[in-house]
Amino acid sequence: MLQTSAGALMGVAAEMNLYDKSISAAKVILTGFVVVFSMLFLLIIVIKVYSTAIAGFQRAADKRSKKKDRVMERVSAERGAHIIKKPAYVTPLSVEEGIPDEVVAVIAAAVAASFPSGSKPAIKSIKKAGGGRSAWANAGVLDNTRPF
Amino acid sequence: MEIIDGFLKAIYGIYESSGLMTLNWQNYIMIAVSIFLLYLAIKKQYEPLLLLPIAFGMLLVNLYPGIMEPPATQLIQMNGANDPAAAGHATQQINGVWFYENPKYGGLLYYLYQGVKLGIYPPLIFLGIGCMTDFGPLISNPKSLILGAAAQIGIFVTFTGAIFLGFSEAQSGAIAIIGGADGPTAIFVTTKLAPELLGSIAIAAYSYMALVPIIQPPIMKALTTKKERSVVMEQLRPVSKLEKIIFPIIVVILISIFLPDAAPLVGMLMLGNLFKESGVVDRIAKAAQNELMNIITIFLGVTVGGTAKGSTFLTFDTIKIIVLGLIAFSMGTAFGLLFGKLMYKLTKGKVNPLIGSAGVSAVPMAARVSQRVGQQENPGNFLLMHAMGPNVAGVIGSAVAAGVLLNVIPH
Repeated sequence: MLQTSAGALMGVAAEMNLYDKSISAAKVILTGFVVVFSMLFLLIIVIKVYSTAIAGFQRAADKRSKKKDRVMERVSAERGAHIIKKPAYVTPLSVEEGIPDEVVAVIAAAVAASFPSGSKPAIKSIKKAGGGRSAWANAGVLDNTRPF
Repeated sequence: MEIIDGFLKAIYGIYESSGLMTLNWQNYIMIAVSIFLLYLAIKKQYEPLLLLPIAFGMLLVNLYPGIMEPPATQLIQMNGANDPAAAGHATQQINGVWFYENPKYGGLLYYLYQGVKLGIYPPLIFLGIGCMTDFGPLISNPKSLILGAAAQIGIFVTFTGAIFLGFSEAQSGAIAIIGGADGPTAIFVTTKLAPELLGSIAIAAYSYMALVPIIQPPIMKALTTKKERSVVMEQLRPVSKLEKIIFPIIVVILISIFLPDAAPLVGMLMLGNLFKESGVVDRIAKAAQNELMNIITIFLGVTVGGTAKGSTFLTFDTIKIIVLGLIAFSMGTAFGLLFGKLMYKLTKGKVNPLIGSAGVSAVPMAARVSQRVGQQENPGNFLLMHAMGPNVAGVIGSAVAAGVLLNVIPH
């Protein structure tokens, strides 16, 4: 069945003369070039527009929250409230013994790089991962999974 | 004596139905080819996840061609109109003789192949790819979409070569899509345009994807200067979560409206990506990129290999397809690089043209090759993230190119 349809299609190709082939090739090249580039250009424009819009919204939101903070500070100062602003509590970084400072620095850099600029990620602790299952746990898993 | 006679008859029956009697020389050549491909998959690790099942499917179908046979109906002559053997079967009379219809079921791979034939597996693979793809580098540098588009030019130029070599329009379109270096897209387009060429095209497409690290570097070095290859690009801006969530929705709306033929591929790709980026359906995202993708990969690989039957695969057309596929792939790489060079000139040396070759959509292999070739000139240069932009743009670009071919070519 497959051979028959292949033969039939090859027959169609054989029927096309040089002119038909040139027309067909030119049509596909032109359409392909124009459509693929137009679609992707359109995407570039759309991505640019919505990225700019989102960045604008985020800037406006940041500005609003900063303005709100300033107003709150001014109001509390005017009222003469003797409220002592508590310093933000920062959990001290707990690092397991045996982990060199260089490794801590690398982990901190990697974490910072994975967050967008402006955000302030905090690392609370750095521990070595567990050394896997115990011998007894391994024996149990093996016993249950061996038939598969 | 009767026992010996029966025994000999049984042995002869087994011998007659064995491969020793039914296989032809083409099958033996294909068995050797499949073993060579298994070697490449296991020892050289060339795209083993696909090459291994493809090679094994090829081996199976050439050992036992019946495994890919479609269902058929066998007519068996009846002993009179009331033959009890015909009970429950449809009967028919031909020239006064009664026959009953005995259904013969198709081979295992025939049924699994329906997912390929009906265009189900490639979009499901795209769903998994979408779950694994980070479009961040593309969103932060949308200009890299131009490189993804440029690398598709090879597809349309190869179409010309194929049509002048005597292939029909539909077959030429299916052959040309190899230049997109995207296996699922190649399969999707071929099943619609020229299903009879599926085995050759799928094997050529996956072979070239596996050979990206060998085919691309010489072209990259030939088309760029040392100075261009040494360009260190600026760090990409971070992309917010909201931008990443909006991206798949916008892409699917735009492409499906303007090019509906590309909707199954792009739609599934973007659905997978939305699973990932939304962060609210982690379970589904994990299932799509692991279990579902692995199962579909097995079915797709084995059944595509199953189409490479010796008698249909070993033809001069296959050789032409393999050569045209290589041309398409090389031209895609070259056009990506040339547009990369153009961007290098326009940005006054801020873009490294090597990222252009990643516009072919072999993800992430092509991006890794850009990184490696860049580091050969400047070990401190990290192009990987910059090359991922054109690389994922290539996936979208090849799906759009597929939509164009399906739309323009009558089938």
